[in-house]
Amino acid sequence: MAAEPVTAAVHIDAAPEEVYEYFVDAQAMVRWMGQRARLDPRPGGEFAVDVNGSEVRGRFVELDPPHRLVVTWGFSGSDVLAPGTSTVEVHLRPEGSGTIVEIVHRDLPADEWAGHERGWRHFVGRLDTAVAAVGAAPGDRAPR
Amino acid sequence: MTAEEAFAALAEPRRRTMLLLVRDEPRSVNEIAAHFEISQQAVSQHLQVLRDAGLVDVRPDGQRRLYAIAPGGVREVRQFLSELWPERLDRLKGAVESDTRRGR
Repeated sequence: MAAEPVTAAVHIDAAPEEVYEYFVDAQAMVRWMGQRARLDPRPGGEFAVDVNGSEVRGRFVELDPPHRLVVTWGFSGSDVLAPGTSTVEVHLRPEGSGTIVEIVHRDLPADEWAGHERGWRHFVGRLDTAVAAVGAAPGDRAPR
Repeated sequence: MTAEEAFAALAEPRRRTMLLLVRDEPRSVNEIAAHFEISQQAVSQHLQVLRDAGLVDVRPDGQRRLYAIAPGGVREVRQFLSELWPERLDRLKGAVESDTRRGR
């Protein structure tokens, strides 16, 4: 059983072409996610981002610059959210002089938090990344 | 508890292991400590951090105190996880817009 996708969106004051680079260029990616990235932006190419010791691993699945890309997503060493198991879709839509970026993170394991091993392993597997995202950018959160 | 506290508590790998140990059944400090090479006192301190963060509950069982998972705290963490992508996108926005202004 799969859980509901996690979705998120943001408006960025830059053209889709510029924003797209931040998903396919390693140097640009580490400006917002992770400390190291190895990105081989072609179908089947490697998608690897290290976020404070947590290794996000997957593959590029679809690339349609500058509109859309799809990567698989998992964590090295996690047997539930294993490398490549979930799917992250990135949609880039022009809006005025900027871009709406929408993330749809699908195929996540169901949220069986209480007393179910799969849910728990999944949960723990994701924590490092979550912690890293918080720890890496203290005070870097835009107010919402 | 706040989600931040929970994440701070879970940043320590041993504490994540401890949570997994008490996931399926309540356990005493002794049982938990048997899985680690650190002192029982250190294990107790880690458990206290998990308790303060609302991730485990403690109940007395005769002479012992049993630690068990606290599902309510976990749901809050789940909520926090669903905010993860928005947070990353905020950082993306910051990076792109500052780079663009610099004429990248």
